[in-house]
Formats: sequence, structure tokens, C-alpha cells
Amino acid sequence: MYNKPTWVSVMAEIRTSATPGAPLLSVKNLQSWYGESHILHGVNLEVRQGEVVTLLGRNGAGKTTTLKSIMGVVRKRQGSITKGGTETIGLPSERIAKLGIALCPEERAIFSSLTVRENLMLPPKLRDGGMSVDEIFSLFPNLKERIGTSQGTKLSGGEQQMLAIGRILRTGADLLLLDEPTEGLAPVIIQQIGHTIRKLKERGLTILLVEQNFRFASTVADRFYVMDHGVIVDGFKAADLEANMPKLHEYLGV
Amino acid sequence: MTEIFGVPTQALFGQLLLGLINGSFYALLSLGLAVIFGMLNIINFTHGAQYMMGAFGAYLVGQYFGIGYWPSLIVAPLLVGLTGVIIERTMLKRLYHLDHLYGLLFTFGVALIIQGYFRYYYGSSGLPYPIPPSLAGGTRLTLFDQPIMFLPWYRAWVIFFSLAICITTWYLIERTSLGAKLRAATENPTIVRTFGVNVPLLITLTYGAGVGLAGLAGVLAAPIYQVSPLMGADLINVVFAVVVIGGMGSILGSVVTGFVLGLIEGLTKVFYPEASTTVVFVIMAIVLLVRPAGLFGKAATTTTGVESTSVGSGLDGGRVLNVVMAAMAVVLMAAPFVVYPQFLMKALCIAMFALSVNLLLGYAGLLSFGHAMFLGSAGYVSAHAAKVWGLTPELAILAGTATAAAMGVVVGAIAIRRQGIYFAMTTLAFAQMVYFLALQVPFTHGEDGIQAVPRGKMFGFIDLNNQLSMYYVVLAIFMFALLMVHRIIHSPFGEVLKSIRENEARAISLGYKTDRYKLMAFVLSTTICGLGGATKAIVFQLASLTDVTSGTSGEAVLMTLVGGLGTLLGPIVGAFVITGMETYLAEWGQWVTVIQGVVFVVCVMAFRRGLVGEIAYRTGKPL
Repeated sequence: MYNKPTWVSVMAEIRTSATPGAPLLSVKNLQSWYGESHILHGVNLEVRQGEVVTLLGRNGAGKTTTLKSIMGVVRKRQGSITKGGTETIGLPSERIAKLGIALCPEERAIFSSLTVRENLMLPPKLRDGGMSVDEIFSLFPNLKERIGTSQGTKLSGGEQQMLAIGRILRTGADLLLLDEPTEGLAPVIIQQIGHTIRKLKERGLTILLVEQNFRFASTVADRFYVMDHGVIVDGFKAADLEANMPKLHEYLGV
Repeated sequence: MTEIFGVPTQALFGQLLLGLINGSFYALLSLGLAVIFGMLNIINFTHGAQYMMGAFGAYLVGQYFGIGYWPSLIVAPLLVGLTGVIIERTMLKRLYHLDHLYGLLFTFGVALIIQGYFRYYYGSSGLPYPIPPSLAGGTRLTLFDQPIMFLPWYRAWVIFFSLAICITTWYLIERTSLGAKLRAATENPTIVRTFGVNVPLLITLTYGAGVGLAGLAGVLAAPIYQVSPLMGADLINVVFAVVVIGGMGSILGSVVTGFVLGLIEGLTKVFYPEASTTVVFVIMAIVLLVRPAGLFGKAATTTTGVESTSVGSGLDGGRVLNVVMAAMAVVLMAAPFVVYPQFLMKALCIAMFALSVNLLLGYAGLLSFGHAMFLGSAGYVSAHAAKVWGLTPELAILAGTATAAAMGVVVGAIAIRRQGIYFAMTTLAFAQMVYFLALQVPFTHGEDGIQAVPRGKMFGFIDLNNQLSMYYVVLAIFMFALLMVHRIIHSPFGEVLKSIRENEARAISLGYKTDRYKLMAFVLSTTICGLGGATKAIVFQLASLTDVTSGTSGEAVLMTLVGGLGTLLGPIVGAFVITGMETYLAEWGQWVTVIQGVVFVVCVMAFRRGLVGEIAYRTGKPL
């Protein structure tokens, strides 16, 4: 058994353990609500420039809600979320997008009334660094072959996931929020997605990833946070994963 | 002279041209409706009024600023579109998180306000608007040296320009990146916003554009039809049928259906003129039977859930309701000695009408926007039975009620196949069909209605010509209807209905055949509605067209809303309030319509619980 850490001790550990560099995203005491139900009870986390950080936790821990709150999809929220020093709490999603944050939702949200090309071209270029279609094709060669498909939802699950990640690169966001990109996909596709995430990291993009599959997460992440009941309960570096396995088993119930 | 199928070519082509002109307006208007519906999921009932505003806009800028037709073609739609933007930004926007039916009711209220206002200022007669000089005159078309028809330039321009606008709009939505954003936002606005697209602005502009299209159609129509406050109200009912046939929200569907139905109407005028006004509705009924989603529509199902006041239940609350009902009965028994009985009887008949609408809307979540067809038809049949067949009043009322029930079976079986707004539109379109039939079949006597209906002797010994006897008979019938509704909603059947309202999919998964329940509720509702209509005809010794108009259907919904959706007593209170307003504010003329519209808008925006609903909510007792 271990002593359940308080968030103060967790934050202290994160502060000492995190790689130096300016935080690109800083979330402090974030509280969120779906209607009347209180989901997040004070989430604190930081993501530094160029990092891949993974949020782990059981179903219902608040991982997706954290991403949606950062993106402004969940409107009812309190606390502080800063991106590159700019406060975003209270801003609508479209304004947050213009600050360089993009979300790839769990359900992928490929539009059935749009062709594959229209789906890909849908997000406008909002900032410098927005990728051209050719750049996106070089990351996802499969998409190039399927670009003529008449309906976005006719693609396979893996292709839809790639389309969903590919299209948000057009906006020029430097912070990507990826919600369970490997869910329900074949191992070979998961490998491809891992490969792509590493490539995106090489390009200098910062990624906050939500994953159930921490075996996959450990292949791409620099750091982990663990969520439970709407708060961050733990955090550690990828290098310390092995040492934290017993705790993790308890948190995740796996 | 050449003839085709025994019809002179000139007459045939003349009617076809007229059909194409009408078709142009159907297409333009249903296009605007489709654009708005696609993005906002709201049926814009203000559309007809906005079309009228376009025509008036052209007329007024001409009168006051000397602006001619061509600049008006741009200025007037822009102005009308701007009013749309203001309405969306200030009010409509606040309704998106609610059931879409509230949007429909809101736009209906706005239409009442606009039409009432224009009628007050400009009367009902038309104002002339000249054809622009550059398009005056026309040409004689010939085929193999045979004269076919005379084609006025202006009419050719209307057809050409409408087609061009329709094709441009279709291209814009289906083939451009802006269109892709619109389509994507229709599917999932939240995600499109995360891409940095300002979806709320897009929605506002879409509404403005759709309304602008209505305004544009109005300007085009000004030189052909006269500019009058009711020009939109008359046209829009056919357009709603076009929308139902084409498939709601389908751009291509609305355009193609608009033009084709215009042509079919034109042809009907040549070969069977009597049916020309109803042919669209007949086609609609057939299409709905074969393809409930419309010709071009996708079979989408929307779940619906109207905000209702289902607070507290159990014996204690039930006792309060019983006490209130008993007190109400006592008050109503004493009332004719204080209040004019004629007014009370009208209110009681109308209250049955409102009760029937609320039974569907408040408890099954089905908004019938055409309930007047049952009210009016029952009235006609009972009046005819009493006057022409000489039946006793109780049999006449029974005949009227049975008619409404039978109609309920037919209309209900077709309408319940769709939900939410689609259901409302289907019932509305059927009501229009009934309206045009009532206008044309001989036994209803058109505009005159059936007059001087004898009240007779109830059961052979109660002389209904005595005002007090008549009143107590009406009260007895009303109490019977009220207890029937009370029984229905507090029965296991009523509980199933409520579960369907809350979550139809779950009710189905629990093993309920929800269609059967909905049909049953529909027929019960039309029966009660018919009872009210049949009684009303005997009381007022008159069955008239007013009782089958869509305005009357709207009023019943208004009463339900004012009193409180999903409360037993709400519709009754609403009926007394609205009937009282109409009776005692009658000398204000058109302002009554405006006030009704304002009440509608205020209720939808800020007072959705209604009078009784608010009391029930505060006291925690179901009423």
C-alpha cells in the first residue's frame, strides 16, 4: 500500500519532476459542470512546450471532460486555463481554437454529409504553421488514396481516426488534445497512430493525450497524470512508469 | 385554333405559365424554409410575413425614397434579412437549447405580430406596384407558325431569376467550402466551433439569408400580385405542403418540388379547375403515405420532449386537484348569473378544444398544428345534421364528434409516423387540405358557413333555445370532457404516454408499441376536440370557415401555452384568457392579433410554465 497523495504533494512532485521550459498549457483548480452535475473538482495540470502528456484514469474519472473544458466545449467551468499565458476560461471554442488549441474528439466526429475531401478541408487555417493538404498526406498516406470517397463516414474506423487527426492539423494549432485515438482500432493501426504522434512531436507540437491503453501511451508519452473522481491524483515521468506500476494498477483497476 | 386534349393551346400554355410563376414562388419560399430548417432546425412560421414584408419594403422605399424596382430588388431583401438577424440575435437564439417546437411557436407568434401590424396600418386591400418599365410588355410565342401564348416579359424574368437564385443557393450550399461549413454545423455544431468557425454567427447569417430570400420573393411578387398584408399568409400554407412533400430541409427537394407542384397546379386548373387548390394537398397525402420523410428527405428521427410541469404526484396532490375541479364546477354553475352566458359557452367549447390539444402536446409530446380541422369539421357535420337532416341536438353533436374521431384515425395513422416538427407540419398540411375542402364542397356553404342551425330540444324535453338550459348542457358536456381527460392522463395509459414524451426509444425498448399508444391518444384527442366543435356549432347555431383555419389551430396551442403545458387545468384557464381577450378587446380590431402574437412570444421566451403551470410548480401540487 502507499499513502494517497494530496494534490499539493502531487503538484510539488510535478514541479520538480517536469522538464524545464515554459508551460504551454496551465490548468489551475479547474471545475466543470454538465448541467447540474459537478464533474471536475479542481483539476491542476501543466503541459510544457513540446511535451506529450497522457491523462490516465478509469471510465468516468473526468479525462474527456478535462479536454472538453480546455477546448471550451464544456461551457460551464471555473478556475483558470492558460494557453501560452492567455486566460481562456469563459472563451467560446472558436476563440480558443484561434489561440492554437485543437481537439480530436473521442467519437471522431466525421461528417456524413461531407465528402472526405470536404471533411479534411473543413477546418480553416487559423495560424501560421497550419499544414497544407500535402503535408497532411505525408503524415497519413492512406488518406490520400481515399480522398475521393463521397461520404466521410464510409471510411474504416482507422481511416476516420486519421482523418480526424489530420484535419485539425490544418488550423495550425500547436497544442493538440487527442481523446482516445486508439479506441477500437486494430493493433497495426494503433502502431501507425503511435508513429504519427511521434512525428508530430518531432515537428514541435505539444500533445495532451487521453488514453485507456497505457501500454500504447507509454510508447509516446513523456509524462503521465492520473485522474480519479474529477481531480488529478498522481503524476510521474515516463521513465518512472515501472516504479509506479503498483499504484497505477490500483488507480486503474487493471 | 389548335387544341391539345381538347383544350385550346393558348389556354393550356397560359395556365402552364401561371403554374410556373406560382412554382417559382413556391420554390423560392420553400428554399428559404429549407435553408433555415437545415441550420436552425426551426420551421420558420414567420416566412409568409417576411415575404409580405419584402413586397411592402419595395413598395415603401418606392413611396418614400423614390427607389425603383431594380434597386429594391437588393435593398428590400437586405432590410428584411436585417430584421431577421435582429430577431435571431435578440430572441430566437435563446430558444435553441429547448425543444424545437418552441422555435416554431415563437416564429408563429412573430408572424401574428407582423401581420396584425401591417393590417392595422394598410388594411386588407391590396396596393398596386407597377411592373418596371424595362420589363413592360411581352412577346407572342409561336411554334410552327402557330401562336402558342403571349409571354409577358416580367413573368419570364420572374421564372428566370427564381431559377437562377435557386441554382446559386444550391451550389453555394452543396459545392462550396462555406456550404461544407454549413452542412457540418448542421450535423455537429460543437465540433465545427472547435475548428475556429464562428457557428453562432453562421446561424445568424443563415437565418438572415433565408429570411432575405423570402423578402426577395416578396419583391418579385409585388408587380404580379398586389401588395397586401395577407399575401404571405395565403401563400405560405401551400408552401408548407411543398416543404412536407419535398422533404424538410432538402435544398434540391424544395426547389424541384416547388416548380413541379406549380406546374401540376396549373395543369389541374386546365383540366379540373375545382381541384386546383387542393391538388397539392392530395399529392401531399399520397407522398406521406408512401414516403413519410418526403420525396427528397432523409428518414431522420428526432426525439422530442416539451418542457412540462410534472411536479409531485400521489394522493395528496391528487386531492388538491379534485378539490380545485369541484370548486371550478361550482363557480361555473353560478357563473351565468354574473357573466354573459354566451361568452361562457364559447369559452367552455374552446376550452374542450384546448384540452384536446394539450392532451397530445402536454402528455404525449405531439404538437398538432392542425387541430382546427377536427373542431371545424365536427361543427359542420353537427350543424348539417341538425339543420338539414333534422336530427336532435344530442344526435347532431354525436355525429360531429364521431366525424372528428374518424378523421383522427386517418390523419393520426399518417401523421404519427413522424415526430416533432415533422408531425406538426403534417398535421398543419392536412388542416390546410380540410380548409380548402370546406371552402369548396357544397354542404359547408363556403364563406357563408352553415347558418341558422336549430338548437332544438335535447332528449326531446330540454329546450335549448332557453339560454340557461343551453348553458348547463354545455357545462355538463364540458365537465364530461374534463373528467375524461383527467381519467386518461391518470391512467396507466397516460403514464405510458408520458414515458413516450420523455423518451420514446426507451418506451419502445420496454416493449410498448408506441405508435399504437400515440394513435390512440391522437384519436381520443380529436374526439374531445370534435365534441367541443360540435357543441359550439349548436350553441352558436353556426358552423363557419373560421373554425377550420390554421389561425384557430394556433390559438389552441396559444391557450395551452398560456395556461400551462401538461397541466390539466391550464388549457381551460388559457381558453378563458384568450377568448376573453378576443371578446372584450374586439373593438381594438387588428391589435388583438398583435397582442396575441406578443403573448405567444412572451410565453415562449419567458413564461414557458404558463399560469397554472407556475402555480403548480410553486405549490408542488399537480394541477
